[in-house]
Amino acid sequence: MPQLNLIEAVRSAMADAMAEDARVFVLGEDVGLKGGVFLATDGLLARFGPDRVVDMPIAEAGIVGMAIGASLHGLRPVAEIQFADYIHPAIDQILNEAARLRYRSNGDWHCPIVVRAPFGAGVHGALYHSQSTEALFTSTPGLKVVVPSTPYDAKGLLIAAIRDPDPVIVFEHKQLYRGVRGDVPEGTYTVPLGQAAVRRAGAQISLFTYGLMAHYSLEAAKVVADEGIDVEVIDLRTLYPLDQATILGSVRKTGKALIVHEDKLTGGVGGEISALIAEHAFEALDAPVRRLASPDVHAVAFSDVLEAHFMLNPQKIATAVRELAAY
Amino acid sequence: MQDASPPPGHDLQYEHAALGLSDAQVLAALRGMIVARTVDDRLWLLSRQGKAHFVITSAGHEATQFGCAWAVQIGRDYVVPYYRDMALVLALGQTPRDIFLHALGKAEDPASGGRQMFGHFNSRALRIVSGSSSVGSHPLHAVGLAWAFRITKETDLAAMTFFGEGATSEGAWHEAMTIAGIHQLPVVFVCENNQYAISVPQAREVPVPDVATKAAGYGMPGMVVDGNDLFAVYAAAQAALARARAGGGPTLLECKTYRLRPHSNADDDRKYRRVEEVDAWRARDPITRLERYALHSELIDPAGLADIRTAVVAEVDVAIAEAERAPNPAIESLLHHLYGE
Repeated sequence: MPQLNLIEAVRSAMADAMAEDARVFVLGEDVGLKGGVFLATDGLLARFGPDRVVDMPIAEAGIVGMAIGASLHGLRPVAEIQFADYIHPAIDQILNEAARLRYRSNGDWHCPIVVRAPFGAGVHGALYHSQSTEALFTSTPGLKVVVPSTPYDAKGLLIAAIRDPDPVIVFEHKQLYRGVRGDVPEGTYTVPLGQAAVRRAGAQISLFTYGLMAHYSLEAAKVVADEGIDVEVIDLRTLYPLDQATILGSVRKTGKALIVHEDKLTGGVGGEISALIAEHAFEALDAPVRRLASPDVHAVAFSDVLEAHFMLNPQKIATAVRELAAY
Repeated sequence: MQDASPPPGHDLQYEHAALGLSDAQVLAALRGMIVARTVDDRLWLLSRQGKAHFVITSAGHEATQFGCAWAVQIGRDYVVPYYRDMALVLALGQTPRDIFLHALGKAEDPASGGRQMFGHFNSRALRIVSGSSSVGSHPLHAVGLAWAFRITKETDLAAMTFFGEGATSEGAWHEAMTIAGIHQLPVVFVCENNQYAISVPQAREVPVPDVATKAAGYGMPGMVVDGNDLFAVYAAAQAALARARAGGGPTLLECKTYRLRPHSNADDDRKYRRVEEVDAWRARDPITRLERYALHSELIDPAGLADIRTAVVAEVDVAIAEAERAPNPAIESLLHHLYGE
């Protein structure tokens, strides 16, 4: 089986989906000749032509709005927002239009679009090339929000998103694009939306995470395992709607919960998971739910020292795990 | 209402026969416009009775909307309307009953099953696309539809989208025009310019006298027509749609008109429009002008016109009664249609 990095897996997903289904097309800034600033669409223009690999003007609302319109005629658009930091001009199209079309038309229309956006810090991207914007989208019914952490999942989740009848936002962590490799089957396959993955089974602490932090958390779990702390690492994969059964089942087993995300603490996905656990698994808890997240500033700063301080890492996660284990 | 004095000729730009329109088509449009105005009038009464919680008017825009609808291949061309387009959706085949079901939020409301406030028209069967209340966000959907035609290689097909001049200040509108212009897509952008964005007059919302001149910056032609002249609107809309369907690219069609009512039942237009101005436009009411034309051209006589008005009132009465009797949405429907299967 081919070993691909995450960006190659994303590219393979789009290429295979386009080859299989003539309704699928991609659009975004620099996706054609350049193949995308991260090369997610490299080679697609030559293979599928300019009608299905559309270089768009710098118009994020236009990219998503055009995708919405095309989906109404039965197409399956995959829109790329160059950086998650620039998804904001498209928010009206995503939240007010795409997410609500099925509901507001009482099921007459639906909107099967995918919006992909690279996100995340640790690449010297500073305030406007590093943001985690997922929490802006994880409270809107009608949407699904997905974050892959492995190449296998990146391809399978993206194909599932393309085939899904409703709008799906896929956030891909920039550090993972070339930072991880793994087995990726040739041809199309899906990883179901809405299902978390248990990356490491454990008995003492449930650690909920996603994206780059899933890798850091696994490293931390390995370190503390040598100290006798047995952590269950759960990669959420879909942030909205959450896989409540897996989350609650794990906490009922371990009695302790740590949520780790790169997004800011306040208003992040961790708050919702904490509330779910407090509401439905309170009796199972042996300790307060703990959240480990980025500080409440806008995004990572440019300076190396500030960036290093901002970012979570396996050491910080291991420390939080030890504190929770000792409670 | 008709003056007692005889009709003083007419002031429409064309004779209908010159545009290939039959007498019967003209009379059907006249009747349809009277239906639309009557429905609109009755919506305001339902509002005062506390039955319709929100009313947004199309009164004054009927010639623009019926003229464009005439040019549409109904059920084939896509129509992406805005909240002012009640007369348009009637012209495209929705019924007064549909309108009242929507206004009263009933289960059978074809727009939304009682979810959307009045003015958010929809019918997939007629290819009328559901919209939000975000001004100017929807022309992009017409552009996306037109891109879909390119991928599916369907020709002789276009999208027509409608908005007020206020929407032309929005960023999303600019993006829609830009993309349509770059790719010369089969979209007709219809600006129903009624000169006010609620209370803000055109001089404070649009930097040029004619919205149509904006088209030049997007690589498409702009046309200005008298939006209260049914035939002038039809001729322009027909030309623009024919060009779009033939691969000739998009058009910005500006129809100059005026709304004869406040923006909505929550608005008091006396705060920002002089009575004399409203009266001057009332004298150019598009329905009155078409009636004058029909009388002058002897398509109908005053008695025939009176018969139409009587019949329309009866028809609208029935539609209201049916809509009022129609069931409310089931409580559990609140949670339906969030996601597909």
